[in-house]
Amino acid sequence: MFEKLKELIINYVEVDPENISPESRFIEDLGFNSYDFMSLLGDLEMEFDIMVDENEVVKLRTVGDAANYLESLYQ
Amino acid sequence: MEKTKIKTLQDLLRESANEYGDRVFIREKNGKEIAEKTFKRLYEDSCRLAGYICSEYSDVIHTAVIGNSGYAWLVSYFGTVCGGNACVPLDAQLPCNEICDLLNRADVSVFMYDKKYESMTDEIRQKCPNVKEFISFENDLSRILEENDPVELDEVSPGALASISYTSGTTGKSKGVMLLHRNLIDNAMCQDNESTADDVVLSILPIHHIYCFTCDILCSLRYGNQLCINDSMMRIAQNLKLFRPTIIMVVPMIAETIYKQIKAVSQAHPELPLRAIAQNVFGDRLTTIYSGGAYLPPELQKAYHEMGYQMGQGYGMTECSPRITTADRFDTECAGDVGIIVNGCQVKIEEGEIMVKSPSVMAGYYKDEAETAKALTADGWLRTGDLGYVDGKKLFITGRKKNLIILSNGENVSPEEIENKFAGTDFISEILVYSEDGMITAEIFPNGDFCKEMSAEEVEKLFENKVMEINNSMISAKNIRRLRIREKEFEKTTSKKIIRNQAEKGRIIK
Repeated sequence: MFEKLKELIINYVEVDPENISPESRFIEDLGFNSYDFMSLLGDLEMEFDIMVDENEVVKLRTVGDAANYLESLYQ
Repeated sequence: MEKTKIKTLQDLLRESANEYGDRVFIREKNGKEIAEKTFKRLYEDSCRLAGYICSEYSDVIHTAVIGNSGYAWLVSYFGTVCGGNACVPLDAQLPCNEICDLLNRADVSVFMYDKKYESMTDEIRQKCPNVKEFISFENDLSRILEENDPVELDEVSPGALASISYTSGTTGKSKGVMLLHRNLIDNAMCQDNESTADDVVLSILPIHHIYCFTCDILCSLRYGNQLCINDSMMRIAQNLKLFRPTIIMVVPMIAETIYKQIKAVSQAHPELPLRAIAQNVFGDRLTTIYSGGAYLPPELQKAYHEMGYQMGQGYGMTECSPRITTADRFDTECAGDVGIIVNGCQVKIEEGEIMVKSPSVMAGYYKDEAETAKALTADGWLRTGDLGYVDGKKLFITGRKKNLIILSNGENVSPEEIENKFAGTDFISEILVYSEDGMITAEIFPNGDFCKEMSAEEVEKLFENKVMEINNSMISAKNIRRLRIREKEFEKTTSKKIIRNQAEKGRIIK
């Protein structure tokens, strides 16, 4: 999941994939704006055929948070 | 639609049903299906709810509505105001304690909500004794509409209160902008020929924002547009392809991000024309993009013109229903203005500040005479708090008199509101909140006495924890993203107020 997220992240921001870690924060470290971030979640919904709960979105601050959340939807 | 017939929101809804009747007004997702409702159906359902509310409550009441944009939200709103009652559209992102505060301050009797907010109802019952009835969109509203016939409505006065819209204020406490039927109608009807009944609008922005409400909803009712609902900010790209709108209204952040994505594809595939890439993103029918809520850079406007779109920006504020200017979509000059002043709106500049007088201007702030007196002059001019000048019909903004932080997504954040949350924190002597590099920054001067036994790291940790606690109590748009600590106290004015624009800044700790 983390690797797939990295692939999608580089469509949005200019960042070396090597520098993306589970601790990377979307806004502060990777330079996402709120619209980029929401669009990324929309891409993930399409990619994995899932529904992201908007109430959960505010809790997803790091790439690791997002990966864990997506994995929880699969279980 | 004959403008002279439309004096109230009830008139607008009735005339839209008369004129566009069985045409589809709303298209919205319902699971995997798309649900459609006609202009006539919206009017009839609003009459059903209005009849129910008027039969249950003998006095004029205030309702509040919270939920995503959609048919149920609109029936809740119009069912309230068409019966002569007033509605408080709530920000769906607010935490429950703030919702309770607004319900009490706005004297709300009926709370109408999407099932997502079901969990709030217990706390509201506890903290808001004046709220007598809870109407969920899914169960109660559907039942009311089934059980009640559409009634013949009593005429509503154009001077009746329609909305109390809460907006951020410089004093830190949000203010309830009272908008009358005639205010909202004036703003929806002030321009002509903006669109036709063949146009399809994708409504993207949150419906409690007056910009969305007047320009997407009221104008679509007037012109007979088909209104498609974007169900989430996550799904704009998918919904553009699904609904293939001809018109969208956005904030600059959305326009900017989509343009960035189009450019990235163009760089990867230089053989593809830019227009073709853009059509793949926006769908093949889009002609017009309106921007508002924050300043749209002229370069971006030009870039969209070059891709073959009409694009322009408007300027306004909740207190003016909201339009003061509107986009001139045929203007390709991109001179950095914020649009042309709308018909019927007078603008003058006093000591650099833009002052506005028009039938769209609010009646005042609800139960707040002191703030009303600050915003409105005795002879009815609205002080916008913005600095600027007029050139012909075009308005230019040069700065903000108020301290409000306007994020590029159009969110207004009052620094005082955030600063107030630090009040009484023992390790902080002074605090200033401001916008820096697009991020909300909190800078403190620690309380030397309290912190004298602590290491710098310990003070930093205290600050970080406090910020985390405060961030968790606010919507994410208001979250503090950068922290600074200074060694010297803040520079102050002679009356000992901290100067907002400090020459020297403290060190960044996060």
